[in-house]
Amino acid sequence: MSEYAIIGKRMPRVDSRAKVMGKTKFTADLNLPNMLVGKIKRSPHAHARIIHNDTTKAKAPPGVMSVVTGKDTAGVKWGVFAYTRDQQFIQTDKARYIGDEVAGVAAIDEETALKALDLIEVEYEILPPVFDPMEAMTMETELIHTEFPNNINIHVNIDTGQVDENFAKAHYIREDTFVAPEESYFQAEPYAVVARFDSEDCLEIWCPNGGPHMKSKPLSNAFKIPLHRVKVRKIAIGGAFGGRSEICPADYICALLAKKTGRPVKIKFTREENTIATRQGHAMITTHRTGVDQEGRVLARETTCYMDGGAYSSTGPIATSVPFLSMEQAYRMGSVRYNGYRIYTNKPIRGMIRVHGRGFAAGLDTQLDMIAAHLNIDPVEMRLKNSRQQGEYTSTKSFVASCAMDETIHKAVAKSGFSEKFGNLPPFHGIGMGTNSVQTGFPMGIRGGSQAFIKFNEDGEATVMSGVVDNGQGNDNMVVQIAAEELGLLPEDIHLVSADTETTASDPGSYSQVSTFVGGQAVKIAAQNCRAKLFDVAAKVLKVEPSTLAAKNRLIFVKDTPEICIPIKKVVRISLLNFTSVNAEGGYWPRVDMKREWVSNPYGQMCEAFSFGTTIVEVKVNPATGQVTVLNATAAQDVGYALNPLVLEGQFEGSIAMGGQGGMLTEYHEWKEGRCLNPTMLDYKLPLACDMPPIHSIMVESIDPKGPYGAKEAAMSIAMSAAQAYAAAVSNAIGVYMDSFPLTPDKILAAIKAKENKEPE
Amino acid sequence: MRLPRFEYLGPKTLEGALDLMATHRDDAKILAGGTDLLVRMKKGLIRPKTIISLKALDELAYIKRDTRENRNNILIGGRTLIADIIASDLVQRKAPALSRACERIGAITLQHFVGTLAGNILQDNRCWHYNQSQFHRSGRGACHKDGGKICYARQDSDRCNSTCQSDGATALMALNASITLQRKGGRRRVDLADFYTNDGIAPHAIESHELLTQICIPIQGGQSAYKRLSYRSAIDYPLVCAGVLLIPSTASPTEISEARIVVGAMGRSPLYMAAASASLGGKKLDDTDAFQKAGKAAMDTAATFAVHNVGSTLEYRYAMVAEMVFQALTEAGEAARETGQKAANKGVQ
Repeated sequence: MSEYAIIGKRMPRVDSRAKVMGKTKFTADLNLPNMLVGKIKRSPHAHARIIHNDTTKAKAPPGVMSVVTGKDTAGVKWGVFAYTRDQQFIQTDKARYIGDEVAGVAAIDEETALKALDLIEVEYEILPPVFDPMEAMTMETELIHTEFPNNINIHVNIDTGQVDENFAKAHYIREDTFVAPEESYFQAEPYAVVARFDSEDCLEIWCPNGGPHMKSKPLSNAFKIPLHRVKVRKIAIGGAFGGRSEICPADYICALLAKKTGRPVKIKFTREENTIATRQGHAMITTHRTGVDQEGRVLARETTCYMDGGAYSSTGPIATSVPFLSMEQAYRMGSVRYNGYRIYTNKPIRGMIRVHGRGFAAGLDTQLDMIAAHLNIDPVEMRLKNSRQQGEYTSTKSFVASCAMDETIHKAVAKSGFSEKFGNLPPFHGIGMGTNSVQTGFPMGIRGGSQAFIKFNEDGEATVMSGVVDNGQGNDNMVVQIAAEELGLLPEDIHLVSADTETTASDPGSYSQVSTFVGGQAVKIAAQNCRAKLFDVAAKVLKVEPSTLAAKNRLIFVKDTPEICIPIKKVVRISLLNFTSVNAEGGYWPRVDMKREWVSNPYGQMCEAFSFGTTIVEVKVNPATGQVTVLNATAAQDVGYALNPLVLEGQFEGSIAMGGQGGMLTEYHEWKEGRCLNPTMLDYKLPLACDMPPIHSIMVESIDPKGPYGAKEAAMSIAMSAAQAYAAAVSNAIGVYMDSFPLTPDKILAAIKAKENKEPE
Repeated sequence: MRLPRFEYLGPKTLEGALDLMATHRDDAKILAGGTDLLVRMKKGLIRPKTIISLKALDELAYIKRDTRENRNNILIGGRTLIADIIASDLVQRKAPALSRACERIGAITLQHFVGTLAGNILQDNRCWHYNQSQFHRSGRGACHKDGGKICYARQDSDRCNSTCQSDGATALMALNASITLQRKGGRRRVDLADFYTNDGIAPHAIESHELLTQICIPIQGGQSAYKRLSYRSAIDYPLVCAGVLLIPSTASPTEISEARIVVGAMGRSPLYMAAASASLGGKKLDDTDAFQKAGKAAMDTAATFAVHNVGSTLEYRYAMVAEMVFQALTEAGEAARETGQKAANKGVQ
């Protein structure tokens, strides 16, 4: 049992009740006085030069308050890095995908705004589009961005040396190619933004975000106003999954319309806009060449990945590395050479989805299973032979301080009965496993650290100010739990002010799985500093040494003789009456290698902690229809320390749904000439609750030396390994290793038939 | 997405509704649940000036058995909720294909609160090049169904190839159902098989002032079954579906006297498989081989109609026609044998 009062306990989230009662307000629910409706005009052409953009007629109808085009943006461009600034918020010269922003409108109501959109006359010169990344590299038609030859946006090369030498030593080498199409987030909340310029000409903005400070900086740049004048406000967020982290052109357009009209403006995306005009996950074609010794240990690996990046860079450099990085964290390799290419196409923009790039869709685990089968090694053994161990360095030189990957494998195997079942199940009944690792943080430069403030009110309750944002995973609750634990208060005594750029200090955001590790740590330190101040005062009153004190349940007491105690409220009052501050701050900056860069120097300490996960899934395949029934899923992750097992279970379950059930079985997009044919929840096959299998969640605690209470990233390793486990289980059930994801019934049936034809009974 | 402006009318009686329909004709659309209508309106696919809601017409919500004058039919009012049909013991016993089909329409909430059987029968044909937002449909020529001359689903097609994905229609056509279309001052009865026009643009032979008031299912002493396929177990429209009816011979109850096979979601209408149905005449109720052959024959016929416009792949949907027909025939055959057995046992007693 832990010595904690609140941490580590199954506590319902502080935000749950309002959400299930329908009382929570999201951006689209906001209504400000005199607010206008904003709409965005988008290109219906995949690749077209904008010859003329005439807004005269659109401005005419009564009720149309403002129409903006690229002429009004002063040419500002967005890109995560200085070298990837390739996206204008409103296009001036050409449109590069169906959905590219070409104008914005603000009107008194939606009907008028839609009418104005129809009246904007954009004359286009249609250019030949390209939708296939492999074709895009060889096409002789006009480049999507003239500065990028062969439409290659990013090339990442990682080479640890000794690769060819180690291949020469290998006992067995195989090369396989895996194909995975793009995927979409389908956050419950379609994107929305409300913006206004207040009486002091400050921009006030509400929108789902992955970190308010990550939104305020580009807005400050774009409008050329100081950071303190960009007030990104807190608002409930209905899911992000990486799709809310970057600035969205709608944020800029909404703010621009608000500036022009002097009135608040709200833009609400349709579900279709949310699908095509936010971000998507990259489509990938990955080839792994792997050489192993007789025992199955990987001596050398060469991986080449072609990623369909869509029309703009987005977080391209990161995405181009991560399919490789997540695998190098999970598995040891003697040596490795990686070449990742991110290629522009005339399709929607690809960014991060859950993680950057999609290592789980790169097929590495499938290949490990293939190698294991060839060497007659059990899949469990194969993983244990190659699994990451604590105290090692990854291939790109990150030290792994805590790692219980083997324990996740052992526990998942034991719980699922994998060893008894694997190879012993009836035909079309299969079991498979996946293992993966996710980083807790990235080098994020000046916004890599988080700072928190705590102020005590005279009634003994505390206000915590933290930049940490909650976009669904329970970060608000995490911050409250940590503050209550450290201050000796109850969760209901904590008032949280968070995710607001005016009142909270810089924070990396809910980005790179770092909220608890960095933001939570900052709150913990602030609370400890605050507690120390209270202890100093309490010690004088109780006539003991501060070091003998502890705080719990609204009381400060002597650890060894708890009956000697004083209410915290009283200590606060005594402090204030004695001219003593009861407020404190705390900050945490992860020690990462700031010289590490995604393209130019992909070596060095990436982050302070890595999580490790194993998922095992058992399935039945209907040989007549190719349809998959998932019997059960077992998910085990090294989370460092489970701060709130109740919340974590929810995260694990969501991860199985998104990574496995949806991501590996049914979700993909259909296209026609760059038009997305299934942008809605009816046609994009997200998993339904009634189709989900029973899920066993196992939390493995390695107690990370740097993480708050030992905690690190939680559940992302499940989303990733779940995808791999689903693929492995289906492959095991039908006796064919599947190399084209997702595993839709048509592909499964075709594989079964092809196998039957090859080996007649 | 925004619902365009319209006038909402809520007649209190059937007569009132028919009056309004006669007045408004093409300007009006009937709201009998709205799961199909409202979505199309939001996408700008139709812009009715007037909506006539059947919400208050409880007189059209019923399930009863009609045994007058030697008749033996199930009668279902047009506005009967899907959930009530699923719950009906009569439908469950005498028309299981319809029960099964209704269970798969939309989702439980829709079945309980809004979805009606007439609405399902009259559900417009679908195509993923057509059922899209106005934005999606801009920047390219309009398709046939959208008032243009192009088909994006089948190159150079001179007609619309939209797909009828109604679960209810497929099951009901297999059950030999007919419908009553009522208008001010008159009514007509149409066999469901004649109701579907095979025209993707206007798939139903109904006038704008006619209301589908009743569905009539003859009780023919056979067994029916319905099978359908989709990626998820709710919400989805079928990728392929099959309704079958097997009527055993009275002379030799283990043999099939008449079979009806209808395949849905593969063409502009539910497809009655004449040859495949005929092939089962005189076959045993457990003739797996004959069922498989009938499935293959249905597949070959359906393949000439289907286009790639509702999901998955064409090859897969072809293969699944054979499978769904086979599964439905097997289930109906088994049920018929069981019933025959029970009847025989009763006879012995």
